[in-house]
Amino acid sequence: MFRLNLKIALRNLWRNRGITAINVGGLAIALAAFILVTMYFTYETSFDKSNPNYKNVYVVGVSYPEFKTNYIAAPFAKAIKQTYPEVESVGLIKEGSFELTIKNGKNTLFTKNILAVDYNAAKILNIQPENGLTKPSGEVERLNYLSKESMQTLFPDKKDNKPEMVGYGASNSGITVVVAGSIRSNEHSNFVFDGISLAAELGEHDNYDMNDYSIFLKLKPNVNVANLEKKITDLYRYELLKNNTSKKSTAELKAISTFLDPLSNLHLRPKAGNDMPYKTLIALSVLGFLILVIACINFTNLSIAQAANRAKEVGVKKVMGAYRSQLTLQFLTEIFIQCFVATILALILAELVLPYFNNLFQVGLSIWQVDSDLIWQLPLILSLITLIAGIYPAMVLSGFKPALVLKGNFSTSKQNSWLRNGLLVFQFCIAVVFIIGLLIINSQLKYMRSQDVGFNSSQVVYIKNLTLFNNPVKFGSVSFNPVRDRLLKIPGIKSATVASFIPGGQNGINSYEVNASKANIDFVNVDFDYFETLDIKLKEGRFFLNTFKTDTINSAIINESAVAKYSIKNPVGQTIRGCGIDYKIVGVIKDFKTQGFESIVQPTIYTIKDPCGSYKTQILLKIEENKMADALAALKAQWPQINPKDGEDFRYEFLDELYGKLFKKQEQLQSVFFAAALLTIFIAILGLFAFAKYITNGRIKEIAVRKILGASDVQIFKLINSSFFIMVLIANVISWPIAYILTKKWLETFAYRIDLPAMPFVSSALITILLTVITVSIQAKKAVKANPVDALKYE
Amino acid sequence: MIQLNNIEKYYANKGVKSYILRHVTTTIKQGEFVSIMGPSGAGKSTLLNIIGMLEEPTYGTYEFLGEDVTTLNERKRIELYRNHIGFVFQAYHLIDEMTVYENIEAPLLYKKIGSSERASRIADLLDRFNIVAKKDLFPNQLSGGQQQLVGIARALAAQPSIILADEPTGNLQSAQADEIMNLFKKLNQEDGITIIQVTHSEKNATYGNRILHIADGVVKDDVKVIV
Ligand SMILES: Nc1ncnc2c1ncn2[C@@H]1O[C@H](COP(=O)(O)OP(=O)(O)OP(=O)(O)O)[C@@H](O)[C@H]1O
Ligand SMILES: [Mg+2]
Repeated sequence: MFRLNLKIALRNLWRNRGITAINVGGLAIALAAFILVTMYFTYETSFDKSNPNYKNVYVVGVSYPEFKTNYIAAPFAKAIKQTYPEVESVGLIKEGSFELTIKNGKNTLFTKNILAVDYNAAKILNIQPENGLTKPSGEVERLNYLSKESMQTLFPDKKDNKPEMVGYGASNSGITVVVAGSIRSNEHSNFVFDGISLAAELGEHDNYDMNDYSIFLKLKPNVNVANLEKKITDLYRYELLKNNTSKKSTAELKAISTFLDPLSNLHLRPKAGNDMPYKTLIALSVLGFLILVIACINFTNLSIAQAANRAKEVGVKKVMGAYRSQLTLQFLTEIFIQCFVATILALILAELVLPYFNNLFQVGLSIWQVDSDLIWQLPLILSLITLIAGIYPAMVLSGFKPALVLKGNFSTSKQNSWLRNGLLVFQFCIAVVFIIGLLIINSQLKYMRSQDVGFNSSQVVYIKNLTLFNNPVKFGSVSFNPVRDRLLKIPGIKSATVASFIPGGQNGINSYEVNASKANIDFVNVDFDYFETLDIKLKEGRFFLNTFKTDTINSAIINESAVAKYSIKNPVGQTIRGCGIDYKIVGVIKDFKTQGFESIVQPTIYTIKDPCGSYKTQILLKIEENKMADALAALKAQWPQINPKDGEDFRYEFLDELYGKLFKKQEQLQSVFFAAALLTIFIAILGLFAFAKYITNGRIKEIAVRKILGASDVQIFKLINSSFFIMVLIANVISWPIAYILTKKWLETFAYRIDLPAMPFVSSALITILLTVITVSIQAKKAVKANPVDALKYE
Repeated sequence: MIQLNNIEKYYANKGVKSYILRHVTTTIKQGEFVSIMGPSGAGKSTLLNIIGMLEEPTYGTYEFLGEDVTTLNERKRIELYRNHIGFVFQAYHLIDEMTVYENIEAPLLYKKIGSSERASRIADLLDRFNIVAKKDLFPNQLSGGQQQLVGIARALAAQPSIILADEPTGNLQSAQADEIMNLFKKLNQEDGITIIQVTHSEKNATYGNRILHIADGVVKDDVKVIV
């Protein structure tokens, strides 16, 4: 029985091979997209899942009125451990705060992130050196580990896993360190590093003002997290009060609370941060699913359209003694075969597209893995699409009444037309939403590219450097003036400055007070020529100038937003107080978008002197465009003399490239949306093509009769197109409000955005109508051109 | 074997009942060969469909093999199709995607008959109807008469006790029609299969042994055919 059904199925598919190919091809493309999305989804949602403690690990975050952060004071770790028995263990980690060069003779390694972890944190976070995790003890204060690749760079001939001596910093720095072995950094984890610096204890000498660490807790099973969260907040306030070095008022303390963020949240939606990655992932999954649904609709629609052909078969089989369930099964088998072939094709397609996908999302996914989740996901997807695509046609077809069918003049076209048309409209709705979305994303990105960001990052070179140029002096920092003098001697360098933060990165936050109103605002520690180098516009007052002695003592420049935040009238000459200094405001600059277009410009203060400031290490140079190469070559040659601490390790980046990274995510989104929109439209049109072919085939006799009765070709084109035309129009009308709401929501994620344009709505209508008319007319042409006599001869 | 009691059938259209059949009461015994005749639109097909349980009467009772089948669930009805009833259609209604062989085999598959038994029955039928050479052809490769032969072979494959045929020769030329009618006569006389056919042709009706004349939904005449 099964064999016979299979044979019939194959004969049927072969007879309609054009339609079958379109169906299966469309589904394969959609499935390939879906497979990629599924793989990506699985990957993104399983960061750190290999950690055996995955379900019980939490990071302790602090919530201030203005922001949330995972940086917290180290001593609090001990306090938690001592107070709450439900906490099994507490670990501390600290990210490397600057780039470190590591040397072995001529071999140099640049590291961006040497992660400092204490023994407990290593255990909690499953950080395992190759030769096993051991607690540093006795003489050994730290155990250092580097990644295998890094070790290979430093010791190309090394075969064993024995400890090695390396130099830190420039070769004249004289610092040597023992590397205890190698460690594999798990890329599929929130904690990626170039190396690990393992200590028995961390931050022993820190106080509650030094929020440099992250605390990770491993809870005992079944702990009430919400409850513990409250208790830890109480403890934190108590500890702050007890060690109140920054003299916070009770009201201020009350405004501070702590939270526990599970490890599973950290990658996509950390409480201290934003959940954009999570939303993007969800959006992507929805896109993938919709594409699949559209392809399944093609199936359903064509199956129902073919119903008239299959009706006789159903009727006859029923009077020969077939149960309805047997017929349902038969039709499902037919659809399953097609879905199965589509799945195979989809795997091949996905494999071909995967390199581009990996490149776009910066991941390393691969299909052919034994432990891949695809092994159980694929059969599930296959069954699911078979059901989605097949259950309705199978039910409809198997439900035909033999009496009606066998009477002869049976017609299904009326019966299910509302469903068929409904599905078609639904498909077009999705396509229209995608087209509108695509057009609007495009306009916003174009706006972002063309808009003035308030500063000029082109031809600005950012040099990474280890020397501190802080004022007041901190850990042996030096004056930047002699460095600038040497730099400006190099032909082509127009200006040079140094700052604690660069545009595109995160600024520091601290509390400042104007006229008794206190607020946490951004701060940047700069040097002379900072604003000139970045071409930032002055609104009133002046920039920092060498000639004013007070500028290195207590002058400050603030931006427009800061003026607004404190609502200062006539800001120039007024006082802003922070970190124990009464700063005099000497200038106000126009806001410039350091954080791109998504977040609003933060109120910011710029000072040269700042006792509470951050490391002032980021050197910025403005270089003439046509002398760029020469200037960079000269810099590289002279760097050991200009900046002995960095010595021969001259490294730089172009600021515009760094700043451009802020837009990368949006551009990624655009690429995905572009692909998704094209795919949906393509698949929907494929479906329409097959559907129109089917419908016109069914109407060939009618068309022939009409032609004999004197209808012109144009009239017949109109006749065939009209119903499709109306459906596309309806689809547009339905989709407009949906697209309007969705794109408005998306635009609202930008602090700086375009007004919602009307053009995309009109364009989507034109595009879909045009595509429909062309597709349908191609089919109609055959019917119109056919000789009516041929069509009527067969009965 | 068939007992119809006061069968009525009407379609209600905008509150107006239009009767297709009225007060049809008749008995058909095992081994009879009945022809239903009457003008177009008289209700012949409707009556045959009711006998074949493809349609339900709006009123009246119908007993098949002593069992009331007026309202029968689908599963039971299909059991009757599998074991007792064979249909032959004016438009043949062969399944286009199946070869001659497979068309004849289909009902046997539903009846779950073993493969060797199946093969011998089909071989037997092909042989008897002289279509062995055509067994691997598809219906559209056969003439009308040949298609109808296959249709009858298919109806006979499950060894039914009754064959219902709605104008089985309506699409055929008279020579072919005679061949089919002779076949029916033979099946009736040699195998004892009950046959009920709808026909317009007086000549075809004479192959049977009883004629039901229907006009406007009413049985006007019930006559024995005297040979
Ligand atoms: N679904 C329906 N709704 C309303 N009337 C119907 C329906 N089906 C059939 N009829 C009517 O029932 C009547 C009898 O139809 P039936 O098919 O039984 O006629 P017939 O005797 O077989 O005619 P013919 O010799 O032309 O085949 C016809 O007048 C037809 O219009
Ligand atoms: Mg009839």
